[in-house]
Amino acid sequence: MKKDKSKNATATPENVDERRAAGQWAVAWRRFKRNKAGLAGLFIVLFFFFIGFTSRWLAPYPPRSYQTLYEGEAGQPPSLKHPFGTSKSGLDVYSEVLHGSLGDLYVGVGATAIAVLIGLVIGAIAGYSRGGLGDALLMLSQIFYTIPLLPIILLASRVFLILVAQGFGLTLILLLLGIFGWSGIAFIVRGEILRVRELDYIQASRALGASQARIIFRHVVPNILTPVIVTATLLIAGNILTEVVISFLGFGDANTSTWGLTIQEGYTYIRTEWWTTIFPGLATLFAVLGFNLLGDGLSDALNPRLRD
Amino acid sequence: METLLDVRGLKTYFFTEAGVVKAVDGVDFQVGRDEAVGLVGESGSGKTVLGLSVFRIVPQPGKIVSGTITYEGEDLLEKSEEEMRKIRGRKIAMTFQDPTTSLDPLYTVGDQLAEVIREHQKGISKNEAMEKATQLLEMVRISEPSLRVRAYPHELSGGMKQRIAIARALASGPSLLFADEPTTNLDVTVQAQVLELIKELRESQKISLVMITHDMGIVAEMTQRVQVLYAGMVAEVAETHSLFKKPQHPYTEALLQAVPRIDQRKDLRVIPGNIPDLVNPPTGCRFNPRCPYAKDVCSEKAPPLELTDEGHLAACHFWRSLSLTGA
Repeated sequence: MKKDKSKNATATPENVDERRAAGQWAVAWRRFKRNKAGLAGLFIVLFFFFIGFTSRWLAPYPPRSYQTLYEGEAGQPPSLKHPFGTSKSGLDVYSEVLHGSLGDLYVGVGATAIAVLIGLVIGAIAGYSRGGLGDALLMLSQIFYTIPLLPIILLASRVFLILVAQGFGLTLILLLLGIFGWSGIAFIVRGEILRVRELDYIQASRALGASQARIIFRHVVPNILTPVIVTATLLIAGNILTEVVISFLGFGDANTSTWGLTIQEGYTYIRTEWWTTIFPGLATLFAVLGFNLLGDGLSDALNPRLRD
Repeated sequence: METLLDVRGLKTYFFTEAGVVKAVDGVDFQVGRDEAVGLVGESGSGKTVLGLSVFRIVPQPGKIVSGTITYEGEDLLEKSEEEMRKIRGRKIAMTFQDPTTSLDPLYTVGDQLAEVIREHQKGISKNEAMEKATQLLEMVRISEPSLRVRAYPHELSGGMKQRIAIARALASGPSLLFADEPTTNLDVTVQAQVLELIKELRESQKISLVMITHDMGIVAEMTQRVQVLYAGMVAEVAETHSLFKKPQHPYTEALLQAVPRIDQRKDLRVIPGNIPDLVNPPTGCRFNPRCPYAKDVCSEKAPPLELTDEGHLAACHFWRSLSLTGA
């Protein structure tokens, strides 16, 4: 009750005018700020980006370093020197979790960027061209939608191993996740374009002499972006999780720090050496949770039907 | 009167999977300079498609199949897309029926008006365009125009949005305005204001008007001449008072009877049935399955559009013998 009162009290004529001048994004941000869960998600995501980008300076050990073995400190529980403990093989788990943030964000965000790019182009063409081409692209999206991602990547990894005699790099996982993961975005883009292209303001700009390019880039694309942003945010969470699974199963990049790789190192000893598994597991949990909360928050904030 | 727009034998078909929908099937349509013409018919009678055809913005899978569209003596169907873009907005303009979606939600009112202004006046600065946008808002009677010019559509009422849509249509000084059901989604009181505004603008800006509507009340209020469309064909054309007084086509009579009257205590008459399937329209006169006066000949032969009186055309085999009730 008290809170409401103070809010009303601040609605002076001046900031009413300010509100009037507020654009779509300002309105969305105001709504977003009120959503505690979404805000928490944003902070978690920003936190992981921060430690990801600063891990090379923050982490006491370089990536994939078994140095603690030579220091005689392998297999130790969390301590001041090794906050998340060390693995039996000599990894400093704290350093690995920090380095892993960079690797997993790289895959999660990068794969999503590729998926969004492909999904936007295919979805847009499928939405715009009625007839053969549009139908063909819709069918292509449906085919990709039915392909189970994980087995395909595991299979590709084996084939790659045989052909090149070397495991996957993170970039390859990123590319595969992107190339096979765009169908959801394409469906949304196609549906949104079908919805928007018939709206009166599109017809009106056409009737008042706007060019096709102006209509598409100024009026259609900006109006379909919000569901794409929301879906992309949720897709990042999914891609991070898939990368962790791939690395955990041993099909990932053995030379780059990722959370899945560290979990794999520790999980056989989980009864005695829980820290090697738990900390990267928690990192995965929080990162995925963060992106999901952020996605939900964005979805609420950007949904015009919920706007006050 | 000088003819501004002259549409002859226009056929606009939609090539759908279910078959060819003959949305406009051989329609003649004229608008004189400074004239206000009503284009009347039920939903699906082809009135909006006729409008879109003049602008050559018929949505896929629609296509203008044949006919001529002459505007100020120039054949619009001969124009390139680039030339057409210069005509749209500058010479002919259109407003659409749904005020909730007629403005782009992402841009301020000023931005959207300025966009149209700058499209047709290259070299005008953004500030000048905004200034002009404010004047346009004033012209359509928006209060506090300098404040509203910075408003987003979601901050405005339906009536305001419709008036702004009209301002946008008139931004580049067209001489012919197609108003597609401008008041359908508005409150009655707001409807009256918007109609009053259109009337005033017609006088002050010297604009010819095509009022697309299914509301006979609006036709009586706003137009000098009416063209009644049924299932993509012309049923009747007449001066407004003549059409109301002495309709010559049973469909027009039915439309007039379907208007609720407060001064007569009788049940509202509705037109039985629905607008026909335009893929396989009825043979003969397209209105015959719903016509209370229909005889055998009506389903056999399509009636020609005949001159029944001075300036009065009707497409009915029995216009001579029927005496239909007006309003």
